[in-house]
Amino acid sequence: MKKKMTQLLALALSAGMLAGCGSTAATTGTEQQSSNEEAETATKDATDKDTSKSSGEKTVIEYWHCNAETQGGLTVDELVKNFNESNDHIEVVAKYNPDMYKGLMQNLQAETATGNTPALVQIGWAFVDYFSNNFAYVSPQDAIDTYDAEDKTFLTDNFLPNILDLAVNSSGEQVGIPYSLSTPVLYVNTDLLSEAGVENTEPATWEEVQEIAAQVKENTGKYGLYVQEPEDFWAQQALIESAGGKLLTQTGDNTYEATFASEEGIHAMQTYADMVADGSALHIGWEEGAQSFVDGNCAMLYTTIARRAYVQENAKFNAISVKSPEWEGQTRQVPAGGCFLAITAQDKDQIAAAWEFEKYLYSVESMAAWTKGTGYVPPRKDVADAENGLKDFLAENTMMTPAIEQMEDVVKWTAWPGDAGLTAEQTLLDMRDQILGGEVSAEEGMTKAQDDINALLPQ
Amino acid sequence: MKIRKKIKDSQILWHILLCLVVAILLFPIVFAVMNSFKNNTEAINNVMHLLPKEPTLENYIHVFEKLPFVRITLNTFIIAVVVTLLKTITSLFAAYAFVYFDFKGKGILYFLMLSTMFIPFTVTMIPNYLLVSKLGLSDSIIGVMLPQFADVLGIFMLRQSMRGISKSLIEVARLDNIGNVKIMTDIVLPLVRPALISTGIIFFINSWNEYVWPVLILKSKENYTLSLALQMYISSEGGTNFSVAMAVSVMTMLIPLVLYIIFQRYIINTFAMSGIKG
Amino acid sequence: MKKKLKEKEGLLGYLFLIPSLLAFCIFMFYPMLDTIYLSFFDWNLVKPTKTFVGLSNYITLFTDPNTLKILKNTLLYIAILLVFNLIVPYILSFILSVIIKKGQGFYKAVFFLPSVISLVVGSILYTWILNPVSGPVAIIAKHFGITMPIWSQTEGWVIVVLCIITSWKAFGYNFIVILAGVSGVSQDVIEAARLDGVPMIKIFKDMIIPMSSATGIYVLIYTIVQGLQFVYTPIKVITQGGPNYASSNLIYKSYHEAFTLYRTGMSAATSVLTVAIFMVLLILEFKFVEKGVYYEN
Repeated sequence: MKKKMTQLLALALSAGMLAGCGSTAATTGTEQQSSNEEAETATKDATDKDTSKSSGEKTVIEYWHCNAETQGGLTVDELVKNFNESNDHIEVVAKYNPDMYKGLMQNLQAETATGNTPALVQIGWAFVDYFSNNFAYVSPQDAIDTYDAEDKTFLTDNFLPNILDLAVNSSGEQVGIPYSLSTPVLYVNTDLLSEAGVENTEPATWEEVQEIAAQVKENTGKYGLYVQEPEDFWAQQALIESAGGKLLTQTGDNTYEATFASEEGIHAMQTYADMVADGSALHIGWEEGAQSFVDGNCAMLYTTIARRAYVQENAKFNAISVKSPEWEGQTRQVPAGGCFLAITAQDKDQIAAAWEFEKYLYSVESMAAWTKGTGYVPPRKDVADAENGLKDFLAENTMMTPAIEQMEDVVKWTAWPGDAGLTAEQTLLDMRDQILGGEVSAEEGMTKAQDDINALLPQ
Repeated sequence: MKIRKKIKDSQILWHILLCLVVAILLFPIVFAVMNSFKNNTEAINNVMHLLPKEPTLENYIHVFEKLPFVRITLNTFIIAVVVTLLKTITSLFAAYAFVYFDFKGKGILYFLMLSTMFIPFTVTMIPNYLLVSKLGLSDSIIGVMLPQFADVLGIFMLRQSMRGISKSLIEVARLDNIGNVKIMTDIVLPLVRPALISTGIIFFINSWNEYVWPVLILKSKENYTLSLALQMYISSEGGTNFSVAMAVSVMTMLIPLVLYIIFQRYIINTFAMSGIKG
Repeated sequence: MKKKLKEKEGLLGYLFLIPSLLAFCIFMFYPMLDTIYLSFFDWNLVKPTKTFVGLSNYITLFTDPNTLKILKNTLLYIAILLVFNLIVPYILSFILSVIIKKGQGFYKAVFFLPSVISLVVGSILYTWILNPVSGPVAIIAKHFGITMPIWSQTEGWVIVVLCIITSWKAFGYNFIVILAGVSGVSQDVIEAARLDGVPMIKIFKDMIIPMSSATGIYVLIYTIVQGLQFVYTPIKVITQGGPNYASSNLIYKSYHEAFTLYRTGMSAATSVLTVAIFMVLLILEFKFVEKGVYYEN
């Protein structure tokens, strides 16, 4: 009898979930089908969880994050611990996923294949489309409307529209809420610049950077510049788009075109490749590149603001940071790094609990702790100036200032739409390797990559 | 006399060459130990200074305070012990069957088992992952152990060792109507003890160091093994904390090295046999 | 009576094999068949439906120019791994067992030491030690006027360094096996040749190698099969197959397709190709090494 009841309950829940899905997920045939199937597995889950709940246990939700020990992992643990202690009905279990947002996506993919999903996940910006096309989620406004009706305007009250926009997918849906926000800045070893006889220690344009790097190379024999090269195209996007190029252009309601092989884009990549070729810029892995900056072998480091603490703690020279350079006559465009939080919980209790926890993470105090622990820029409006927020912290850590100042230049980290999005991203990485390795010219490499990607995109 | 001296001289040259190889092989271990006692800033800025200028235990303290390190070590240990026991027992039975029993299809079966050595992990990775998850064992150390209860390496080594035992000994025992299990435990087992121990140690060490499979299965820190704990300190957005990574590395190396040093003779002799066939 | 005993023996034989056989069937053979099955479908590990695409994954695999590159890389990996893990240990074994005879125990023990250490540890260590800008090796090389190539971004070099890291771990085991094989060659024959004034190179080439060839072939095959899988860990930790697939091999490609691009079918097709190549090696192994061993019993 009891079993029948739970089954019925589960059925009702899954029906509710389906309705929820309809309003959030895109409505192409296969996706609908996929959410149906996911709903079924969710039903099974719900059955299990409901049985366990009837014995009076707390709602246990999983929160998946990518914060390694060196990158806010300890803050995650602290926030979760405080939350768990401050309430009596929810228990959050935090799970670290290695290999950044890609790694988390991989695990989520594998987990979903088996029918188990966490309640709240960090999704890297670049995955906003891939995530919303392939996984069932609850849009934040839906969660608020259902479980937190008094606070209906939470999103618009607390977030700038251009920041909220970061977590909107190509079909215009708000998939989640911005959480970790980073932008690239240029770190400068002013001691090494003086040694090289460079007077301008605060380059504002890439042309100046190029000149300084050449001088450093010539006068000290050391490298002038390193631009981060992890397994993503983030920093290169800033380079191309600040030159007036655009990675992806929307051509119609649901159609897109890769457009990075424009004159401006090619100019930016070719300049950078030339610097690598003449030895004034370093082409190497992220870790080694960052290390060569902090140990004084490379004069400038173009990387995320999240590395501030690493630079500040380990560099034995005078290091400063400046805003991401512009190209002459162009405006700065810095892609947002980091992630947004999306609710992947499937049943009612889980969604409610996920929202309650999420809201706690967005409180001024939690946000301030998050910024201190990770070095990210707070995505919420009022945290930077608040006394219980970051006021003192920012006064002490001046290297943060450029990142806060360039908030208005934040653009979306290009997410390649369609099912082949990951392949498109991979194509860009291959292109970067080919151009910087000197195998092809920027023009040749970018034109080819652009054609390849356009063949993958929904036209 | 002269010739002998010449030989001696040339021998010294060869020893120098061999010692160079020794130095190359051991340097990374020394490097890890030394850097684990530096703070990260010193590790980065004093690469050429092998000895720490200001030796510190802060990396080790960090590891024990900030990570459930005892738990992680225990996980690694439990997985390694269980996997070792399972693999050794199944190998013992299989090896015994191949050496002391005659049955149809023995050749085919041996070939079949040997062929598992030639199946790369990528082939079994996706289906096994799905299986473990369907059983609800993802993110559990049982899920890590599950697909590992037999290993052809053990069958192979133990078979090699059993074949060294005089067959007449077994024949006599059988004529006396002693049961096979008793023959195995009372006669064969003591004679293959060295091989058994070293196979066990190798299973243990391999499982201890395993990375590819646990990384797919384990998610929460409390369930991590040492290899996974290590990667939390490398290549993240916030930068590598190299000296802590080195402290974790040293702790990861410690148990295998100690085991190896204790059982070194057994292990080397058993391995030496594995290549000599027939 | 005797026949009955034989029957009972046979039954027990099967019984003793069941635990291992069962494990192999569930966790190796069945998954392998499943992978073959998946190679005919287009799937991304999440979608509820797999789309049957026939041979299309194989066609894509064989027409993709990167596949050729990856196959070439795989061969280069094999070639370099064989140098470090077959040729070098062979020469050292010869030196140790024929030319100098002292200190065998010490060298064996020390050479094997890195074999017990995790490759993740090895990969992290070597990334630092061999950092071409800031690492100790680069700094020392600079004193001698040598600029180290930025190996992690240079085609060719990247494979060499990844092989060095892998060999650090694999070397000791291979050395011990080969040394046993070389030591197995009759000392009398070698002594006689030496007294006849046969040069060492000739002894090595014409006597030692042929007389220890069974061991040699075993190590050759083992190096190819295990070495390619070992090398996966440093690729994953250090280069992720880059730059532009220059360090990818068949094993890494399978992983990359499955867990980075989520093209399960492509991953499966790559795995099937790998297995096919390995199976040829298995047959070789059985023909040259295992044969005779079984019938003897």
